[in-house]
Amino acid sequence: MKLTESMVRDLVTTTLSAEEIGDLLTMTGFEIEEILEVDGEKVLDVNIMANRGDGASALGIAREILAKDPTSNPTDLYKTVTESWSRPDHNEADVRSKASVLIEAPDCTRYACRVFEGLTHGESPGWVQDRLTKLGQRPISLLVDLTNYVMIETGQPLHAFDLDKLAGPGIVVRSAKLGERLTTLDGTHHELQPGQLMICDTERPVAVAGVMGGADTEVGPGTTRCLLESAHFDHQSVRRTRKQLGLQTDASYRFERYADPEGVVRALDRFADLLEQATGVMPVPGVIDEYPAPPTREPVRIRPTRTARLLGTDVPTDEIEAILARLGLKVRREGDEFWAVPPTWRIDLQREEDLVEEVGRVFGYEKIPEFLPIGSTPVGGPRGNDLLIDRLREELYRVGLDQIISHSLIDVHPLDSWGERTLVRNPASPEMAYLKNSHLPGLVDAALRNGAHNLHFFETGRVFTQLGERQSLGILTSGFLDALHWSAGARESSDFFTLKGMIEAALRSVGVHPEFGPLQSPDSRLHPTRSAAIRGLGVMGQIHPNAASQLGLDAETFIAEIDITDLVAVKSTEGLYRPIHRHPPARRDIAVIIDTSVPFSRVEEAIVQACGPALERLWLFDVYTGTGVPEGHHSLAIALQFRKAGNFTDEEANQVRDLAVAALEALGGKLR
Amino acid sequence: MDEIAELEEQAAKAFRGATTTAELRELEIRFLGKSGLVTGLMRGIGKLSADERPAFGAAVNEAKGRLQSLLDQLTSALRGAELAVQFENEKIDLTLPGRRPRAGRTHVLQQTIDKIKRVIGSMGFVYYESPELELFKYNFDALNYPPDHPAMDAQDTFYVSDDLVLRTQCTALQGRVFETVAPPFRAFTVGRTFRNEAVDRTHSHTFHQIDVFMVDEGISMAHLKGTLRVFAREMFGGDAKVRFRPDFFPFVEPGVDYAISTPKLFGGRWVELGGAGLIHPNILERYGIDTERYSGFAFGLGVERIPMMAHGIDDLRHFLENDVRFLEQFR
Repeated sequence: MKLTESMVRDLVTTTLSAEEIGDLLTMTGFEIEEILEVDGEKVLDVNIMANRGDGASALGIAREILAKDPTSNPTDLYKTVTESWSRPDHNEADVRSKASVLIEAPDCTRYACRVFEGLTHGESPGWVQDRLTKLGQRPISLLVDLTNYVMIETGQPLHAFDLDKLAGPGIVVRSAKLGERLTTLDGTHHELQPGQLMICDTERPVAVAGVMGGADTEVGPGTTRCLLESAHFDHQSVRRTRKQLGLQTDASYRFERYADPEGVVRALDRFADLLEQATGVMPVPGVIDEYPAPPTREPVRIRPTRTARLLGTDVPTDEIEAILARLGLKVRREGDEFWAVPPTWRIDLQREEDLVEEVGRVFGYEKIPEFLPIGSTPVGGPRGNDLLIDRLREELYRVGLDQIISHSLIDVHPLDSWGERTLVRNPASPEMAYLKNSHLPGLVDAALRNGAHNLHFFETGRVFTQLGERQSLGILTSGFLDALHWSAGARESSDFFTLKGMIEAALRSVGVHPEFGPLQSPDSRLHPTRSAAIRGLGVMGQIHPNAASQLGLDAETFIAEIDITDLVAVKSTEGLYRPIHRHPPARRDIAVIIDTSVPFSRVEEAIVQACGPALERLWLFDVYTGTGVPEGHHSLAIALQFRKAGNFTDEEANQVRDLAVAALEALGGKLR
Repeated sequence: MDEIAELEEQAAKAFRGATTTAELRELEIRFLGKSGLVTGLMRGIGKLSADERPAFGAAVNEAKGRLQSLLDQLTSALRGAELAVQFENEKIDLTLPGRRPRAGRTHVLQQTIDKIKRVIGSMGFVYYESPELELFKYNFDALNYPPDHPAMDAQDTFYVSDDLVLRTQCTALQGRVFETVAPPFRAFTVGRTFRNEAVDRTHSHTFHQIDVFMVDEGISMAHLKGTLRVFAREMFGGDAKVRFRPDFFPFVEPGVDYAISTPKLFGGRWVELGGAGLIHPNILERYGIDTERYSGFAFGLGVERIPMMAHGIDDLRHFLENDVRFLEQFR
């Protein structure tokens, strides 16, 4: 909200400069976004907090200055615009012969109006036009400019109807009826719904209450008689209706944030004063003021002890009382505590803590000291699965994967996981209408953005799958792992087993021993014979050649997706210590030619079973095809390491090796 | 005895004539080794009378000692010269690039998040995760948002259904913790939040927040300020100071905006980081907490703000676009 410096100084005298006023307001909660210089005058752009509608006027800002600045004093105008009735004619009845008001809906707390006759078309006074222009508003006409000006000055929205265009002429405040329509001032047509609060004449809606007037009853060059509305509507009702109708106005902004119901009549009077000054036209004597149930405010207790306990600093009792009084609260002392009735414009003051905040902000938050909390301090930081994911990430860096972090809201993608997607009902654009159900789309997009070659990425974070919101790990690896170095020979390119090794290393670092097996069901994202299921956790493998060519990725791109939501559940328990044998091991190497259809896991299993506890460890150190190995076969070179309590003789070692060989022969293998 | 002197002279002459340490090593074996010539003299000792033997033996040993020390001296001189040649031959260009083992890179946001987790965790706050796809009631109702309130204007929300939203603030964790944990407690989270905002250099529909809160007896604004001071010092270094300014958030009362200033980073300027305050008593009461006994504070801030300020990053969009040229600048 913008205010000219002169509008503020009309209401309050102070030794402070515009900049100092700005700093004061910023530090009491009305942040000054900027101070503009317009045609030689300072204009303050004030940010109004959502609960401080009372600040959305020159009057509200003046109140804040008066509460905080000891050099400030109210002006005569301040006194005039804060008096309930500033013109002497309020008991006159003449106006009642010109119009009537009927409130039928409880959402209207108060409805008041004055009637003006003998108007001629004209412009508003130069100083009003000047100020409105500086605030960025376009002067329109005398009546319209004065309603706007009084609203900015007092915070009370006004609306001028052309009285001759009102049927009745009577005002009825009621809910819209089904089938009723209204064209508002901005030219838009609205189909109204029951529940939407309307200002009507005796026949039809003529304005959306608290939001915008209708085009039919607008004041214009031909207007000679005017009904000036000043009312108070329920803030939630105004907000609901204006959102339904897609409208937003300076008036609705103020009503939504709560306008002072006690300011209704004085805004009419201020308008009448300004009109009289400008044109000499006096209102028809009297005010129609329907105010069926003026809201009452209950006193709120505030204890100096609790104030100190919450603020963390002692505020002298007298100062608490003085601050609250300066803010317009009626304070009564009762023993050690105060009971304070908040002013009608401060709906945000409801309970003790609200008053403590008022005391704190006027007293000055800079006077609050700094302490660290004591008490029963727990051990902080991540626990359980969160801790395992942090550890897992460390290992993923160690195996050479770069972390990426990508968007959750995406379009459909060829690498989406199976199942239905979660759709956002009100997306910002169709390209971000879905919640990702896999990290693979993000990984692929990151790869493509960065040239698609020699990239090794992982991402952890939430995905939204058939199982709900899950923590997931995605990996993409493609091309050379190491940078080309001047001293190096041939570089190794990532393949299936690079990825498998990364996954094994990462999961083992958190105590999870992955089991790899064939896919349970075909996965269109993966190469059918170069892919694996990681039991209970996910899938991995080479990207399907169709997906690779569709996306423009290298065929040799390897991807994995692993559910890490509950690693705690699949983590193996801490192992027990194994005693270290003092005796040296015996090693025997064997090379066996075997059909390629026999998986290595079966070879391994057969050896382990055959050798029994003497086998300390075995490892595959070569896989050979070529000369000397028949078609469809390969030669596996396997090292066996035996150990026991005591020395292995050559003979004993050979015996255990022969058991292994026999077991491999049973699988169809032949010693090479 | 003459033969000792003769042999000593002969050996010394040979030693002095050597030009390499390898030669010296050979000469050492020839003269001083187990079956060397000098040692061989001892074999003649048998021909001597018992009286002569001790003197002869001593003379041989003395000669041997002298030769050994001469040899050591010559070896050390030659070794020095030889090493000088070797070093010259083995010279490398130390400016050639080093061989760096590949290690993955931590995303700059993760670096910030890790640091936040260390700092806040070390102050006794327990880390929680909570859903990104959140129930409306945790995102708003539980946080004391009145229905149809303008405070929601700042929280343009993505809806998945009437009840399910993409959380607009990590504060949504609070109700979940209040439901399951009794005070006193300290809790925090770091996570992703969403708001239906147009994307530009300083706005995104997807960003990250931290939310920190605690409830205990006698918690005041002073504890909030002290905690923020430590947090700011650890995150930004130097003597970061904290300033409160009144602000409104439905879930705190009093509510403030907090700004920090460090001479090092911002040249004494106040930089607003986020919202904070004492947890609203309506919330504590909603979860059956006695507000006369307990109070609590809460603060939050945007994660992206931190690296943006620390590194002068001027475009929020970089963070989730994964351009390696951006990411590789932050190791």
